[in-house]
Amino acid sequence: MNGNIWVLASADSVAIATTLILAALGALFTERAGVLNLGIEGILLTSAISSFLAADSSGSIWLGLIVGSLVGALLAGIHAVLSVVLRANQIVAGLALVIFGTGLANFLGKPAEGKTVTTIIKPLSFGPLSDIPLVGPIVFRQDPITYASVVIAIVSSLYLFRSRPGLELRATGDDPATVDAQGLSVASIRIRYTLFGGLLVGLGGSWLMLAQSAAWHQAATTNGVGWIALALVVFAGWRPMRLIFGAILFGFTLQLPFTLQAEQITFIPSALMQMLPYLATLIALIALSRPSTRNKLGAPKSLGIPFVRDER
Amino acid sequence: MRSPIRIVFEQRSETPKHLSVLVPLLSVVAALVVGALFLLATGYSPLETYSNMLSDGFTSSRGITDTLGLSTVLICTGISAAFAFQMNLYNIGGEGQLYLGMIGGAWAGLALGNQLPTFVMIPVVLLVGALAGASWILLPAFVRSRLGTSEIVTTLLLTYIAASLVKHFVYSPGSFFVTKNSAFPQGRLVPDSASLSGIGDTSLYPTFFLVILIALVLFWVVKKTEYGYRIQVISDSPRAAHYAGINANRTTMSVMLISGALSGLGGAVLIIGPFGRLDPGIILLGYGYAGIVIAALARNNFSAIIVSGILFAGLRSGGDKLQISTDTPIHIGVMLQGAILLFALGGEAFRRYHIHAVRTERATQ
Amino acid sequence: MTNASHEVAKGPHHASGAAPSALSAHSIVKRFPGVLANDSVDFDVLPGEVHTLLGENGAGKSTLAAMLCGLYQPDTGYITRNGERIALSSPRAGLQHGIAMVHQHFRLVERFTVAENVILGSRDLSYKLNRSELEDKVAAVAESYGLPIEPGATVGDLSVGQRQRVEIVKALYQGAEILLLDEPTAVLVPAEVEKLFENVHAMTKAGKSIVFISHKLGEVVEISDRVTVLRNGRVTGHVSGRGTADTKELARLMVGRDIELTTQRASHATGHEILQIRDLSLTVGGVNVLSDISFNVHAGEMVGIAGVAGNGQRELADTIAGLMSPTSGSISISGSMTTDRGPIHARELGLAYVPEDRLGMGLVPSMSILDNLLLTRDRRVVVDRTTVRPEATRLIEQFEIKANGPDHMARKLSGGNAQKVLLARELSGGRTATKLLVVCSPTRGLDVGAIETVRALLDDARSAGQAILLISEDLDEVMSLSDRIFVLYRGSVVHETPGESAQLATVGAAMAGLKPEGKS
Repeated sequence: MNGNIWVLASADSVAIATTLILAALGALFTERAGVLNLGIEGILLTSAISSFLAADSSGSIWLGLIVGSLVGALLAGIHAVLSVVLRANQIVAGLALVIFGTGLANFLGKPAEGKTVTTIIKPLSFGPLSDIPLVGPIVFRQDPITYASVVIAIVSSLYLFRSRPGLELRATGDDPATVDAQGLSVASIRIRYTLFGGLLVGLGGSWLMLAQSAAWHQAATTNGVGWIALALVVFAGWRPMRLIFGAILFGFTLQLPFTLQAEQITFIPSALMQMLPYLATLIALIALSRPSTRNKLGAPKSLGIPFVRDER
Repeated sequence: MRSPIRIVFEQRSETPKHLSVLVPLLSVVAALVVGALFLLATGYSPLETYSNMLSDGFTSSRGITDTLGLSTVLICTGISAAFAFQMNLYNIGGEGQLYLGMIGGAWAGLALGNQLPTFVMIPVVLLVGALAGASWILLPAFVRSRLGTSEIVTTLLLTYIAASLVKHFVYSPGSFFVTKNSAFPQGRLVPDSASLSGIGDTSLYPTFFLVILIALVLFWVVKKTEYGYRIQVISDSPRAAHYAGINANRTTMSVMLISGALSGLGGAVLIIGPFGRLDPGIILLGYGYAGIVIAALARNNFSAIIVSGILFAGLRSGGDKLQISTDTPIHIGVMLQGAILLFALGGEAFRRYHIHAVRTERATQ
Repeated sequence: MTNASHEVAKGPHHASGAAPSALSAHSIVKRFPGVLANDSVDFDVLPGEVHTLLGENGAGKSTLAAMLCGLYQPDTGYITRNGERIALSSPRAGLQHGIAMVHQHFRLVERFTVAENVILGSRDLSYKLNRSELEDKVAAVAESYGLPIEPGATVGDLSVGQRQRVEIVKALYQGAEILLLDEPTAVLVPAEVEKLFENVHAMTKAGKSIVFISHKLGEVVEISDRVTVLRNGRVTGHVSGRGTADTKELARLMVGRDIELTTQRASHATGHEILQIRDLSLTVGGVNVLSDISFNVHAGEMVGIAGVAGNGQRELADTIAGLMSPTSGSISISGSMTTDRGPIHARELGLAYVPEDRLGMGLVPSMSILDNLLLTRDRRVVVDRTTVRPEATRLIEQFEIKANGPDHMARKLSGGNAQKVLLARELSGGRTATKLLVVCSPTRGLDVGAIETVRALLDDARSAGQAILLISEDLDEVMSLSDRIFVLYRGSVVHETPGESAQLATVGAAMAGLKPEGKS
């Protein structure tokens, strides 16, 4: 068996992890503020097609990334208004966003069908470093957004656990009444982080489009990555650093079917092979919900619960 | 400087009757306005698009039977979602359970169809489909009731797995479900004994009436029986259920299985009705996801689901035909669905709260 | 205010002397849907003074306090600080003016450390947080007021008394000059109350003003320099002078009439054993919640269980009611074993259970009174509401429940009426006639009228020969009603005494875990 393909597969896992890291970080910030946004999949899709259209019409990849990210924040804004301002059921609001986002993306994507982006985000080269066997392709031949996503995750971790606003963010997800009594605005904190989360998810969707797929395949463009990202947040225990490793792990299961197909390993039918990432996520979720592990994970206590100051 | 005006949410003690009708109605209108903006922006005529949708969905006689025919499966997935939602169980994998219902129904039809008469086969296809749908939620239901694993992501992930399963059964060579030696892979039609024909040669099948009956029975079960009482207690306060000796785990399990079975039934209905075969095209239609919208819009009321199901069927069948007649993207229908739900959720706030702006008094220095 | 003057006045009170009030409320009006919570209320507190707001539950004291700290805004009226009019648009504005509130339900993030909780919301900190530096800073503030806390400890691991101290340190850290203490003693044992009062004195000595909010007359007289009494949102009187106030007079101002919460005990010899508990132990998650508990309750007898919240009371009640299975030991009702047989079996033997949590456990909030009556009964396959309806109507009448009839939703009942519905259902028997009644904190949060009714109902049930187990954190209640008293501490019975000869000091010491003999 060709050993090289497995090195490339590992490099691909790291690359695919980019979207997972960004989307899951977006969900993590949102959830740390106590807002449950299940609409990640819809946001990913819409920002993907938006970035495609922007990059395609302007010829600038960077403009594509910016437009995609802003569209992500915009859709998250809908969720913020519904769940924070209007106190709607966050689960149903998130689902509505998935349905709306999917329909909108496919509607907008009509003219994009069959087209590919002319220039895609290219991997960087670090000269001789990129040629080191094994390590080179995996660590030193990724594109700038991939490196950025890891840096964002590390910075997020410091922000969350070592800074004053991070403390306030964590308190808002755990105990909004306390934050309110301290004179901070729960609504404003929640809206801000929901928007910021949407921005990160949008960046992830844009990257998926402009670096990974390059062509619009309707819903198959994201293919459930948004849902895997949501599971990844649970898997990582709402901690950004753990999220990086989880993302690479799930990234591996996402690209494995393609590697196997390329390697012509067909003892498992390819359609069944495609189940792998979802199956792996499912098993991870179930394994994590054993009561003994669940308590240690530390889900924000007021996740998904609208905050209303007691009026009596 | 902060504006001295504050928005105040005042909980209503009684919801005015007119708002219960007005809010869903205005949501539809608002969504249509948003849709019109998108249509305008992309160079289509909103007026023409909507009038075509209306006539294709509701006003022509062909349109009406098509709509009622499509509503059969949408009401199935709607009551499936609502049955779980009313107990705060978010089964959002109705889509996958529907695929399984289709696989199960097709299997029953293909395996047994040649040996049994129609009046036995139809119930068998429906039953096997329902069981297959229930089987697809068994794992999420089990881990939810035993370990507390959130059913939201598990049921959804299983939808992706179900989609792979459908593709596998259709595209893998020599599969039981496909026509042998066919030029391109295609599901095998079930024998005549396992399918019905549309009423008066339309796309409205007798299963429509069965599904309406099931919705009404569920309405009664929830309102009047001990089982419905239990569901209400558990959904409102699990601790009160525990206090009263109600076994919440068992009820959770059964509610989720019934919800899965109802989506599965939707899949089997398609085998008896228009499809007649396992068709991977189902993956693009999103009937299961539509059920979530239908249930939410009807606020999980089973008789209201009949109405919202038919409404959405009209929207969908009208939207689907646009693609053929005017080249407007088919997805406008799905987008409108999502927008309607978003507006309905926002409107819910106006139903529950009396929202008004007040001027806060500021101290003079 | 050294010379104790004793005056009872109607209308606004003006502080005598020249000292300007630290904080004053002027003609405050606040409306909530359907309630006039504050009706032109005047209130003021001087520097270095303890001024108490006294009133029943729902009298409007918490609402007034919420406006004084910026949580709510008055509809009309205004607030002055050192004589200057201020606008308190949010709790942040309150803190900026040196006003802090210590809530009855602590506003602490359980997963955070003490130091993190104390600094939460402080604006004057650097962006980057340095853990050990913060902990030193917090410890320094705490020590300067003689409030020992451990800044690195996780709040979730602390006792109630310790958490309250963290709240006070938090307020002081933020530079509070005026502290509003909302029912601070409700959750404390007598020894902790003493400690709190020492802290209060330390703070007033340092020039801080304390607004003390309470409905307990005894402690109010002990701690207050002045008292303002509220009833139904209006000020009904002022009393000044520490230790001079007349509790009878205060009670009349608070309730509007003389109250008679007299002692009631079994008037006749008690009957045979209804509840038998033998060597009951319960372990939850490796922690011994109940250890080796044995006692009986007889027909026509009320046994009281005293203790600070979280010492196993709820688990004891739940275990007797069949909601939890004991790790070892046995429970029997009327001679039949109920251990491990579930709540329905226990009810079939005559158990009735009024849990502490009325709405949410005892009653289903979104259901009607009628449906709530069915909760603990046999409902058959198709729920038969028509035959229960007349009974519901009768019970509403008999228990004087204020409701629009059997279809009135439980959520919309007042606390007292919800408790009456619960008692109506449990006392009227469901699957069989009630023989044993387990009640937890039956009068918590109720106004005096409702407390009287509930106590009378319990007394009637006892006279009718029912065995009653009264579990309550309200020591006065247990002391004045019970025929026998057990004190529960860390899951064990540490003290037992007949109700008649029970000593407050001894029982209180036992609740705090001190050996009664060991107390000097």
